Amino acid sequence: MTRWPKPYPLAFLIAVLALLPVGVLIELAADSASLFDSHNLRVLGNTLALMVLTIIGAVLIGVPLALFTAYVQLPFKRLWLILLAAPLALPSYIGAFAMYFSFGRGGEIESLTGIPMFSVSGLWGTALVMSLYTYPFVMMTTRASLLSLDGSLINAARLLGQSLWVSLWRVVLPRVRTSIAAGALLAALYALSDFGTPAIMGLDTFTRVIFVEYNAFGLSQAAMLSLQLMVIVALVLFLESRVAGASERPGKHLLLWPSRWQYSAMLVAAMPVVLLAVVLPLAVFMTWLAREGTGGFEWQFAWNSAYASVLAAIVAIICALPVAYAALAGKAGRLMERITYFGFGVPGIVMGTALVYLGLQLPMLYQTLALLVVAYVLRFLPLAVGSVRTTAEKLDSGLVNAARVLGASPREAYLRITLPLTLRGMVAGAALVFLEAMRELPATLMLGPTGYETLATYMWRVYEAGYFGRAAVPGLLLVLLSGIGLMLMLSGERRAEFTLSEDGGR
Amino acid sequence: MHRRTFLQGLGAAAVFGSMPFASRLSWAASPGAVSVDSLPPLVGDLTLYLGRGEGGLYENVLEAIQKRNPKLNLRIRRGGSAALANTIVAEAKAGVKRADLFWAVDTGSVGLVTDQQLAKPLPSDLTGQLKSGFQYPGWTPVTGRVRTLPYNTERVQPDAIPDDIMALADSDLAIGWAPAYASFQSFVTAMRLLEGNKATANWLRGVNRNAKKYAGELGVVMGVERGEVDLGFANHYYTLRLKSGKPDANVDLAFTKNDAGCLVNASGILALSDGDLPVNFMRYLLSREVQSYLATEAYEIPLVEGVAPPQGLPAMDTLSPPDIDLRKLADLRPTLNIMRDVGVL
Amino acid sequence: MLKVSNLCVNYGATRVVDNLNIELDHDEILMLVGPTGCGKTTILQALAGLIPISDGAIELGRWRATPQKMVPPEKRHVGMVFQDFALFPHMTVADNVCFRLKDTSLADHWLELLGMEQFRDAKPGQLSGGQKQRVALARTLAHEPAFVLLDEPLSNLDAALKDSLRWEIRGALKEAGVPAIWVTHDQEEALSVGDRVGILNKGVLDQIDTPETCYATPASRFVARFLGEASFLPAVLHDGNAKTDIGEVPGTPVNGASGAVDILVRPDDLSLVSHSDAANSTVDWERYEGESRLYAVTLDNGTQMKVRVSHENALQPGERAKLELTTTHPLAAFAKEA
Repeated sequence: MTRWPKPYPLAFLIAVLALLPVGVLIELAADSASLFDSHNLRVLGNTLALMVLTIIGAVLIGVPLALFTAYVQLPFKRLWLILLAAPLALPSYIGAFAMYFSFGRGGEIESLTGIPMFSVSGLWGTALVMSLYTYPFVMMTTRASLLSLDGSLINAARLLGQSLWVSLWRVVLPRVRTSIAAGALLAALYALSDFGTPAIMGLDTFTRVIFVEYNAFGLSQAAMLSLQLMVIVALVLFLESRVAGASERPGKHLLLWPSRWQYSAMLVAAMPVVLLAVVLPLAVFMTWLAREGTGGFEWQFAWNSAYASVLAAIVAIICALPVAYAALAGKAGRLMERITYFGFGVPGIVMGTALVYLGLQLPMLYQTLALLVVAYVLRFLPLAVGSVRTTAEKLDSGLVNAARVLGASPREAYLRITLPLTLRGMVAGAALVFLEAMRELPATLMLGPTGYETLATYMWRVYEAGYFGRAAVPGLLLVLLSGIGLMLMLSGERRAEFTLSEDGGR
Repeated sequence: MHRRTFLQGLGAAAVFGSMPFASRLSWAASPGAVSVDSLPPLVGDLTLYLGRGEGGLYENVLEAIQKRNPKLNLRIRRGGSAALANTIVAEAKAGVKRADLFWAVDTGSVGLVTDQQLAKPLPSDLTGQLKSGFQYPGWTPVTGRVRTLPYNTERVQPDAIPDDIMALADSDLAIGWAPAYASFQSFVTAMRLLEGNKATANWLRGVNRNAKKYAGELGVVMGVERGEVDLGFANHYYTLRLKSGKPDANVDLAFTKNDAGCLVNASGILALSDGDLPVNFMRYLLSREVQSYLATEAYEIPLVEGVAPPQGLPAMDTLSPPDIDLRKLADLRPTLNIMRDVGVL
Repeated sequence: MLKVSNLCVNYGATRVVDNLNIELDHDEILMLVGPTGCGKTTILQALAGLIPISDGAIELGRWRATPQKMVPPEKRHVGMVFQDFALFPHMTVADNVCFRLKDTSLADHWLELLGMEQFRDAKPGQLSGGQKQRVALARTLAHEPAFVLLDEPLSNLDAALKDSLRWEIRGALKEAGVPAIWVTHDQEEALSVGDRVGILNKGVLDQIDTPETCYATPASRFVARFLGEASFLPAVLHDGNAKTDIGEVPGTPVNGASGAVDILVRPDDLSLVSHSDAANSTVDWERYEGESRLYAVTLDNGTQMKVRVSHENALQPGERAKLELTTTHPLAAFAKEA
C-alpha cells in the first residue's frame, strides 16, 4: 500500500503550477513601497461595502425566488426556472454595460421615451448589478436544499395550526440557512473578483484599482493589492468551506398549488428582476443592432475568442484528468485537488498581473496565445476537475477491476471502460471552461497577443471609446453563448458549480 | 469619456465604414504637406501600440492606411497612453521588445518613453514637415488640442469669465467637469507643475463647491449647452464637434491666459525599431490627407506646415499657452493622489 | 491447480487475512464463508491481483505471485463474478460478454445456456438483477478463465431467485469444468453448493472440509455456531461415549477433548415431548417455521437448548416438557470453555 498512486506525480505538478501565480505575486509585492495607505483603506471599504450589499441583495432576491421555484406549481415551471436562473450564465459586465448606457441623462431609456432617468453607477449601481447577476447562486443552492427537505415538516406544522408563511419562516428557513449562506458566499466571491462591473460603474474596488495600477505599470503595487484581495477571497473561501451543505435525508417535497391570481402576482413580483437582468441587455443590444447595424464588428473577434477558449478547454481537461483521479486515489491527491481549486478564487485581474510579470521574465511567452491559455486554464481548471471528478466518482471501480480480470491491461481498461464512461463529464467540463474563457475579460485584456481582439475585449474597447452602439453584435453573441451555458448547467449533466461548494465542507 | 461619442457615433457613422483616401480627402489639398500619393508603399510586419482616446477617428486613419497598403501587416495593441508607455518601459527593462511604433494621445506618455532613450532618432526631412516649435529629434507630434472653457452663451457673458484659471476657484459660476477623464487629469498635472501641489488642491476644493460631475468631456460640453452649468473644462474639439452638428448651439469657447487652463497638448508618435517601415508609417500620419482629415473631421489642430486649422478655433498665435515641458505631464500619480485626497475622484 | 500458501494481506497496520493455505482441485467449488468483515472479499481481491499481498504466495499453472512479484490481474487468467455484477453500462449484453473475445462462439454458448440470448442487444440498465448476474457469469465463463472467483454473487437478488440461480451457477461452473472460489455469508448457500467449505474467522481459516464434516464436526465453537443453530450441552466423555443429563450419545473429541466436555447438539438431534411426569425442562419461546417449530428450552440444569420438532407438536412457553437426545451419530465434543 506504499505505492504512490499513478496520477500523483502529474497531479502534483499541476498543483504546483496552480500555486505559481501566488508565488509570483509574493515576489512582485516584495518590491512594493507601501503596504497600506489611506487610499487602500477607501478601496477596502468600497470592496467590503460592495460585498455586503451584494450579499444582502442576492439573498433578498434569491431566497424568495428559491421558495417560489421549489414549491409553487405553475404552468411552464421549467421555463420560469430557466429565466430566473439565466442571469447566472450572463457575465455581469454585460448587464453593467447595458445598464450604464440605458439609465441616466442621455441614456437609451431617456432618448427612446423622453423620460429622464436617474443614472445607475457608483457603489449602489455596482451593488444593484452584482445582486441581479449573483442572486441565482443563492436561488440555486437554496432551491436544491429546499427540494431535498422533507415537505411533511411544513405539512406537519400547518396541521399543528401554523399558517403557511409562519411555517416557512420557522420550519423551513432555519433548515436551509447553510445553503443560503453557501450561495451568499458564492455571490460574495463573485463580487470580490469581478472586474468589468465596478470598472464600468466607476467604483474603486480592488479589481478596478489593480487595473489602474497595472496601467501605470506599478506591477508591484498591483501585486500588493492583489495579495490583499486574495486574503479576503481566501477568507470567504474558508468561510465557505465551513458552511456544510444541508445533509437532510431527501423526503417528499412540498408542493403548493396557488390559484391563478396568486401565482400571477408572484410572477409579476419576480418580473423586474428578469427585466433588468435579462431583457434589458437584450433589448439594448437589439436596439443598437437595429440602429447601427453590425459596423466595426469582425467575425475574427468571435473566432479569436473561440480559438483561445477551445485551446483552454482542451488543455484544462487534459490537466484535470490526473488531478481528478488523484483526488479519488487518496488523501494527498485530495490536497492536490484542493490546491488547484485555488485558481477559482484568483480574480482574473490578479491572474493577469501575475502572468504579465511572469511573461516579462520569460519573453518567449510574453504576449503569446500560450500565456493567455495558461491563464484561462489556471483560472477555470477547477470547473473541469469538478466535472471530471463527479463523473469519475460515480464510476464503479468494480468495472475497471472487472475489465482487468477479464484480461485487459490498465491501458485497455482505461480506454474501453473509464474513458467512455467519464467522457460526458469531460465534455461537460470542457464546455464549461470554454464558456467561461469566452467571457473572460481582464486577463484577456492584459495577456492577449497584440491585435488579438476577442468578443470580451472588443466590448471593452467599445465601452472605452464610447461607441457603445458597436457592442450590439458581440453583446448578443455573448448572451447567446451564455444561454448555451445555462442549458448545459440546467441539463443536470453538471452541477460542478454547486458541488464545488458542497464538498468544501468535507 | 463615454457619452461623448453619442453624437459622434451617429455623425461619424458615415465616415467610419471606409475612407477612400485619394478621392475623399485630397480636396483639402494645401501647399507644404506631402500627399500620400508620393509616399512609398508600406510592406511588412508592424506592431503599433495605440494610446486610446480618439479611438474612432484614429482607427479610421489606420484603416485607410491599411487599405492603401495591403502588404502591410499592422498589429495594434490598444490601451491607455500612459499604460502603454509604462508597458514599453517595463518591456525594455525586461529585455523584451514588442512594439515598433507608439502613438500616444498625450505628450506626457511620449516623454516617459523618450526619457528612457527608447525612441529611435527620426530623419530631419520628416521632422522638418512640422511647424516650428513642434520639431523633435526622437518623436513627432501628430495633432494638437487646447484646453478650453466652453460656456453657455445664454447664461454667461464672455467678459464675466476670468482669464485666469486659478480665479475660477473663487467664482460663483456653476461649473461642469469630468475629473476621471485623462485630458482633465493632464491639465491638473500641468497646474500642479505650474502652481504647486497645495495651490492645486485648494483650486480643486474651490471648484468642487459649484461643480457638477460628468463622465466625459463631451458630456461636459453637452451639459453646458443645455444650460445645466454655466461653463466647463474641456478639450477644444468637443465644442467644435458639437457646433458642427448643431450650428445654433448655445455654447462658445473661452480661453485663459498663460496658465494650465489653455494648455496645448499634442498626440505624438515615436519609433521603437530601426528601419524605414516605422518612419514611413509616420509619414502617412503627417501626410496632407491625414492631417486634413483629422482637422476637418475631428477638429484636431494639424501640426504639419501648410494644413489649415479646424474651423471655429482662433488662430494659434492668438492663444497664450503656458510654458511647460509637456513630457513632464507623464507624472500622473501625485495628481491622482491629490484628486483622491480632495475627494473629486 | 490453484495453490495459495501462507497468504497474508494487511490494510495499513491491520492484518486482514492471516496465513491462508488453500489448494483447489481442477473443477472443485470451494465456498468461503464467514461473517461480514472476516476478510473473504479481501481474499478474492488478492487472488485476482486487485490488491497487493503482504506475505505468502499464490500460484496457478505458470504464474506465481508474491509480495515482491505482483502479477497483474490481466495476466492471471482468472474470472471474477462481482456482487454488483460490474457489467459495463455503455455496452450491450453481447459486447459485455465478448469483451476481449475474438471468437464469439463461446459467448453465444454461454448466453444460450444461461437463457440470455434474446437480450443480446440490451444494455445492462434494462435488465433485472437475475439477468444481470447471468450475463456477468456468461461474460466470465466465455473468457475461459483458469479459475473463477465469485464475490457474493447472489447477495443483491431476491430470496426466491437466489435459490434457483444458485444451482444454475453451480451447474454452469461444473459444465465449464473450472475450479471456483465462491464467497458468501449465507451458510445455507455454502453448505448446499460447495464441494468443500472454508470457514473464515477474522482473517483466519478456521476449517476447510466437506460440508458434512464442517457441519457435524466443526473445528471450533465458532464454526459450529456459524453453520447452524448450535447448543452446547455439558457431558462427560469417556471411551467415545458422552454422558449427559438427557441421555447418552457417541462423542467425537475435537482437539483431543476428554472428561468434562460440552457436546454440540443441533436442533434435530433432540426430541421434545409434552410430558408432565418425566419433564426435565421448561419451554422459553417458540418460533413457528411452517413445516416445523423451533423451541428454546431450558433444562433443569440451567442449559438452554434449541430443538426443532414437527409442526404438529405445539407447546406453550412456560410449559414443562421432556427433552431427549435421539441421535445415533456421534456428536462433536469440545473442551470446557475457560
